[in-house]
Amino acid sequence: MNKRNMTLGMAVSVSVLVAGCASTPQDNAKVDEARAAYEEIRNDPNVARSGDRQLRSAREQLSRAESLLADGADIAEIEHAAYLANRHAQIAGEQGERAELQEQIDSAEARRKELELEMRADEAAQARREAKELRLQMEAMQAEQTDRGMVLTLGDVLFDLDKAELKSSGEATVRRLAEFMAEYENRRVRVEGYTDSTGEASYNQGLSERRAQAVSDTLIEMGISRTRVETKGFGEQFPVASNDTSGGRQQNRRVEIVISDEEGNIEAREN
Amino acid sequence: MSKHTSMLGAAGVISIAVIAGGCASSVERPDGELRSAESAIQQSVSSDARDFEPVLLNQAQNRVADAEELINQEKYLEARRLLEKAAVDAQLAGARSETAKARQAVDEVNRNIESLRKRIDERQ
Repeated sequence: MNKRNMTLGMAVSVSVLVAGCASTPQDNAKVDEARAAYEEIRNDPNVARSGDRQLRSAREQLSRAESLLADGADIAEIEHAAYLANRHAQIAGEQGERAELQEQIDSAEARRKELELEMRADEAAQARREAKELRLQMEAMQAEQTDRGMVLTLGDVLFDLDKAELKSSGEATVRRLAEFMAEYENRRVRVEGYTDSTGEASYNQGLSERRAQAVSDTLIEMGISRTRVETKGFGEQFPVASNDTSGGRQQNRRVEIVISDEEGNIEAREN
Repeated sequence: MSKHTSMLGAAGVISIAVIAGGCASSVERPDGELRSAESAIQQSVSSDARDFEPVLLNQAQNRVADAEELINQEKYLEARRLLEKAAVDAQLAGARSETAKARQAVDEVNRNIESLRKRIDERQ
C-alpha cells in the first residue's frame, strides 16, 4: 500500500517533469507582458551600465513565472511572479534612462563650465579693451589722474577775458568731451570754474559760475543729458599757481572737468 | 532495475519536499516583506515620488494597508504577494521620479548653456 502510493507519486512527478520539458509553454498574457518588458531592456547598454540588480531580479522572476506556468501552478502565483518580473524590468528601464540622462547632464555641465570660462575671459578682455580705450581718450584730452579722479583742465583759451561765452576753439574742446561722454554712458562730469585773484572775490565767484555753466550748457546742446553734468564755481579758490605773475594768473584762470567713476560718482572738492 | 527505481524515488522525494516547502513558507508571517515594502515606500518618498508619481505611490501604500489587514486575518500568502507588489510599485515610483528629475536637470543645464551662448554671441 505504502509502496504503491510512492510509485504513484513518482509517476506523477515524472509526468509533470516530462510535460514541462516537452510541451511548448502555455500562454499567459501577464507572463507574455513580463517577457516583452524584459526582452526590451535586457540588451540595453544603459541598463547594463546602471547596475544589473533589477535586471537580474526581472530575469529570476520571469523564469520563475515561466516554470510555474509550465508546471501548471496556481495562476495567482504565476501572475504574481509575472507582475514582479514586469516591475523589475520597468525599474531597470527607468534606471537605465536615468543613467543616460545623468551622462547628458554631466557633459552639458562640462560644456556650461567651458562656456562660463569663455565668457569670463571675454569679459576680462572686454574690460581691458575698454580700460585701454578710456586711457587713450583721456590722454588725448590730456586728462590727469588726481585724488578727485580724472580731471581735464581747460585753460583760459576757452573764454575771452571777463567773458563767459565759449570761444570757438573752446567749443572744439568741449565737443571732444561730449563725444567721450556719449561713448561712456555711465560717466558723469562736474564742470568747475576757477579765476585768478584780480578784482572782487564775489565778482570772480560769479564769473567762475557762469563759465562753468557755459561749458555745461554747451555739453547739453551737444546731446549730453542734463543729469550727467553738474557745475560749480570756485572763484579765486584753489589756485594752481601764484597770482603774483601773469603766467601764474593765466594758469589759475581755468575750467576743470572732473570725470566720475564708472558708477557716476564724483568726489566732492573740499570747500 | 534497482538503480533506476531509486533515482525515480529520489525525484519523487524532492518534488514532495519542494511542494511541502512551498506550503510552509506561505504560512509564515510576511514580516520581512512588510519591512521591505515600507522601506521602499520611504525611499520613493525621499525621491519625491509624492510630486512625480503620486498615483503609483498611493497604490503601493494602499497595498501595504490591505496587506496589514490580511496579516491580521492570518492570510499570510495573499499578504506576502501584496507586500511584494507594493515594494516594486514603490521602487518603480521612486525610479520614475529620479528619471523625471534628471530630465528636468538636463533641461535646466541646456537652458543655462543657451543663455550663456546668447550672451557670448551678443558681445561679439
